[in-house]
Amino acid sequence: MLRLGEGEIVLLETRGITKVYGTVFKTTALGGIDLNFDPGEFASIIGYSGSGKTTLLNILGALDRPTDGSVWFNNVEVTAMNDRELAEFRNRNIGFIFQFHHLLPEFTALENVLIPTWIKTHSSTRQKEERARELLELVGLKERINNKATDLSGGQQQRVAIARSLINEPAIILADEPTGNLDSETTEQVYELMREINARLNTAFIVVTHNDHIAAKSDRIVEMKDGMILKDYLTGERSKDDVWQDVAPKYCRHCYKDSDEVNNQLL
Amino acid sequence: MGFEWKVAFRFLKDGRGQTAFILLGIAVGVAVQVFLGTLISGLQADLINNTVGTSAHIIFSGDNGFSAESRQASADYTFAVEGNFRQTDDTLKDWRPLMDALDNQPEMTAVSPLVQGNGFLLRSGISAPVVFRGIMPDRANELYQLEEGLLEGNLGLEGNQIMLGTDLAEEYQLRLGDNVTFQLPGESRQVFTIAGIFDLGSQSINESWILLDLSRAQRLLGLGDDINRLETQIRDVFAADVLSEELEKQFQGVSIDNWKVQNADLLSALQSQSGSSITIQVFVLLAITLGIASVLAVSVVQKSKQIGILKAMGTSSSSASRIFLIQGGLLGLLGSLLGVLFGFMLTQFFLWGTAQATGRALFPLEFDPVSSAVIVAIATTASVVSALIPARKSAKLNPIDVIRG
Ligand SMILES: Nc1ncnc2c1ncn2[C@@H]1O[C@H](COP(=O)(O)OP(=O)(O)OP(=O)(O)O)[C@@H](O)[C@H]1O
Ligand SMILES: [Mg+2]
Repeated sequence: MLRLGEGEIVLLETRGITKVYGTVFKTTALGGIDLNFDPGEFASIIGYSGSGKTTLLNILGALDRPTDGSVWFNNVEVTAMNDRELAEFRNRNIGFIFQFHHLLPEFTALENVLIPTWIKTHSSTRQKEERARELLELVGLKERINNKATDLSGGQQQRVAIARSLINEPAIILADEPTGNLDSETTEQVYELMREINARLNTAFIVVTHNDHIAAKSDRIVEMKDGMILKDYLTGERSKDDVWQDVAPKYCRHCYKDSDEVNNQLL
Repeated sequence: MGFEWKVAFRFLKDGRGQTAFILLGIAVGVAVQVFLGTLISGLQADLINNTVGTSAHIIFSGDNGFSAESRQASADYTFAVEGNFRQTDDTLKDWRPLMDALDNQPEMTAVSPLVQGNGFLLRSGISAPVVFRGIMPDRANELYQLEEGLLEGNLGLEGNQIMLGTDLAEEYQLRLGDNVTFQLPGESRQVFTIAGIFDLGSQSINESWILLDLSRAQRLLGLGDDINRLETQIRDVFAADVLSEELEKQFQGVSIDNWKVQNADLLSALQSQSGSSITIQVFVLLAITLGIASVLAVSVVQKSKQIGILKAMGTSSSSASRIFLIQGGLLGLLGSLLGVLFGFMLTQFFLWGTAQATGRALFPLEFDPVSSAVIVAIATTASVVSALIPARKSAKLNPIDVIRG
């Protein structure tokens, strides 16, 4: 368990959450997780496939309920809410970015960004529309505002999804492999965008990723294995070399002879 | 506009072909309902009009002092009372105050006294049975539309003047101004002058009725100032039974009959016709409902990804189900409005077609906006109901299943 200093507000906290799938053949996806996330933090969750990353993220985002344990948001117990309250909680406090974009193809880029506000207030105001335009501009899609979602490239769709996750000004954005099916160039752009938003709006990010470069560049790395937390540390507390040794795949641990090269790679 | 409406609209708009087909399906169904309804109500209105348009709706006749109940109650003593009254006792005595009272009833549109007796037309050795009907021409005109039915002559009826039907006149080659001998009840003979020839639209009337002045008929039939019946027409023909009951309470000592009792067979035939029409309508509605339900059931599966995303972003289950209820309602409303339009066009086309074929429309068809509105309302409601199952599916959809891909 890790705290960024005593006395600070904890944004999102899990207390001993477990997740067991199935009733006859039981799969334990999470085996008791205690984690704290602070406001404005940029954290990565890494780990092998099947280690429980998505399961954890869904529980953090109030999309799923843990089998045991509790989730707290700003000292409010999320796991005690009913389904209706959970839906409202998600709408107001959590932004989601999924791997497969998950825009509504029937709507334009602008409308997709506005959908969370429609859900929130059952209407849309001129200010909100203005804000949506700003966000689309922020993600570099000023020219594509009225394109149907299906008329956008994968990277563009993901950027719309990022704008959408921001419209209700959530305190935290959960991203499950947001760059999972983007090329490395676009991956870099999307990552830079998330970092920029993180810096500008102080929105916390929890990003599940298989991309070691993204992981290495986060403030914090949470590594999972078999439904447990294997490692959890701040990248700032270690040397970049050290971090790289930790997150890079085994075959690549010695790809870089000196730390300069590692630094280049990380920047 | 609420967010659920926005999404519902967009889903429908986006499913172009699918939406168009189901709308067309609903429209065709509703068009059949509207057309069938108009056709049958037109037909029935025509039949009713033929039956009661120019005949009495409520008839007052004399009551010989024994109501139906007291007649029955006294059945044991029949032998004792039998001789105490004659057939003629069911004439209406002192009927003028009754006529005045009825004239003042707002429901009454015509009140016409009638004296009736049987006789024979005697002509070149042949005798033809006829019915003498003594009337007040002005009042009878209101009921029988004599003026409209008059082919020759006028409604005067003074002295020995009579009017007779066109069929009788044709059969015996009688012309305006001819003098004709009749045999009256009681073997007496009388010569009348033909002052008018009418066609009242019914063969049996046209070959048997002899219309003459009321007071003259009273004298010839030996009724004094009595009449046989007071015939009336009322505004709402179907209220005849209810109104007669009320009138029975108001006027004692008369017996009151109405056309609904006299035409019970016709009415029950019409009723069973309406019944089969309703059956068809119900099945059409059922087909519409099933159509919408199946289209929306498919749509829920097609849109499950979208519903999942919406739910992940905070759409509640009830909201997610409402999206499909709204779609059902929209399909029902738009489809049935379109259907009313089609149905209207179909009736117009039918009228035009029959007019082309027969030279005139078979019977008047009136487009009824109220019943169309009812059909639209029912179809829309049924559509919303049919969307319940898809809506439930949508409500139950778990966003995680969708997001996992
Ligand atoms: N709906 C489910 N029913 C049963 N088992 C499940 C279900 N979802 C996940 N699991 C199991 O739970 C474990 C954790 O799955 P999870 O999706 O969280 O892994 P992950 O770390 O996100 O993997 P990946 O990197 O491949 O996305 C796996 O063993 C998986 O098989
Ligand atoms: Mg996963």
